[in-house]
Amino acid sequence: MSILIKRSKSGCFNSACNVKLWRLNSTSADSALKKGEEEEEFRVLDILKKRDKMQRRVVKRTDVQPDRIDRMATNQNWGNVWPGPKTFHPSSVPLPIRQGYVPKGQAPPGKKANAELMKIPNFLHLTPPVIKSQCEALKQFCTEWPNLLNSEESIEKHYPLEIISSDYCHASPSIRNPLARVVILRVQLADLKLDKHATDKFKRLVGDRYDPKTDLVTITADRCPTKVQNLDYVNYLLTACYHESWNFEDWEKEKTEDDMEYYDWDNNASKRSLIDWYLRVKNELKIMNDEEYKAFDISQIENGAQYKASVSKYMNEGENPQTVQEYSIAVRKLFGLPQKKLV
Amino acid sequence: MNTSVAKLAQISFRSINFTVQGTPVLASELHTSAPLCRVVSGKYRITKKRDKPLTYEMANPPHYIAHRKSWNSWNTSSLKDGLRRSETAVEDEFIRRFMTGTWHGLVCSEVIIKRQFNHIRVAAIMRRAVSPTKMYFLLGYTEELLANWLQCPVTLELQTVDSFKDVVFKYI
Repeated sequence: MSILIKRSKSGCFNSACNVKLWRLNSTSADSALKKGEEEEEFRVLDILKKRDKMQRRVVKRTDVQPDRIDRMATNQNWGNVWPGPKTFHPSSVPLPIRQGYVPKGQAPPGKKANAELMKIPNFLHLTPPVIKSQCEALKQFCTEWPNLLNSEESIEKHYPLEIISSDYCHASPSIRNPLARVVILRVQLADLKLDKHATDKFKRLVGDRYDPKTDLVTITADRCPTKVQNLDYVNYLLTACYHESWNFEDWEKEKTEDDMEYYDWDNNASKRSLIDWYLRVKNELKIMNDEEYKAFDISQIENGAQYKASVSKYMNEGENPQTVQEYSIAVRKLFGLPQKKLV
Repeated sequence: MNTSVAKLAQISFRSINFTVQGTPVLASELHTSAPLCRVVSGKYRITKKRDKPLTYEMANPPHYIAHRKSWNSWNTSSLKDGLRRSETAVEDEFIRRFMTGTWHGLVCSEVIIKRQFNHIRVAAIMRRAVSPTKMYFLLGYTEELLANWLQCPVTLELQTVDSFKDVVFKYI
């Protein structure tokens, strides 16, 4: 190329050609020189790092997409935008939210780049319309509540047995919680079909699991590893106690007055003395054995029933002003004495 | 810290004095633990030029947690009778270190870890310094590896900002 230009040197555009020549020559010479420099010259110590500065690459940033809120329609379905629990994201929540503590007179930090808003759990996925639609979807799996079970009393009447167990929600790789295995069974003693002896025996068998104040028997099981096993065990315990309390063992006949857990007036000396006194008054005194004494009907004695009640109460509840008062009234009535005058 | 170490040393030396047999081994007697540093931990010093950038999280010292800022870890282990207390704390620390190391120089806020059932949500504010392709790769990479290690589904919920200056709350 340079040769061609050299030939046309004799032409009329001398100056222009000269410029061209010089420019081309200079560029070619420059490039050659540069090449030579790189190969031959010593490296130059660049103290001010000028060359590095020149070579720094400018990072080309990709275009940031516009916020989603700018493209949202006003009549959109919010449930589709935010279908499940999610950390707050400012570009998809079209609300002017601010959060943060600032000195008085300043505005709190906005929603963008606000870590506080990302921390707090939000309920943007549980807006009222969404809840309504979810309930509608669940309705097909529900059955109607029985009409007759409209009050607590009727529920208790038809379902006397109550099973209490807990489920736990917690954050951990495993969904198991050891406390979920505990099963509590609760039943009213009055709902069990027991006679006098069986009731007494049942109370003795369950011990402090029976609460006399509420008449509730509470059986708790937590010894088995799973809930189902504990439920079975609780049911087994109740069944076993129930049937065992109906059993009448031979040795139970050997129960004497000293073993009684409460004062039974019919078995005690008080009844005997009352009958003796009654018969002696009527001049019909006769020798009777224990069975006859027990079988004697005291309703023929005037005020005998009241006397029985007051003595039983006195012995079972202990001595207090009320029981003493009742006892005194009963005895005075029995003997036909005038009542104590209240001062 | 010095006083506590001195106290520990005193106690250990006292027990040494009472040991009967020969010369006791000091190494097994002296125990030290990390200092509490109640007064200075989680707080930042004011610089002379007042040009140290602080995020909102850094600007509020620890005693404002639950008053001006909330917790960075949300889980049921920290409740009363919570299960897996120590495991959760160690895992959270591991996730934080893994996040800051994997997203090197990109994390602009604290790493927020929220746990629901067996699902772990990791939230953070990132700088848009790398290309979206790289970001997507890192996202999948982090989720996959953490899910494998922790044996639960992990979701990364990121927010991006142009530069660190966007999260700066004030300069001290």
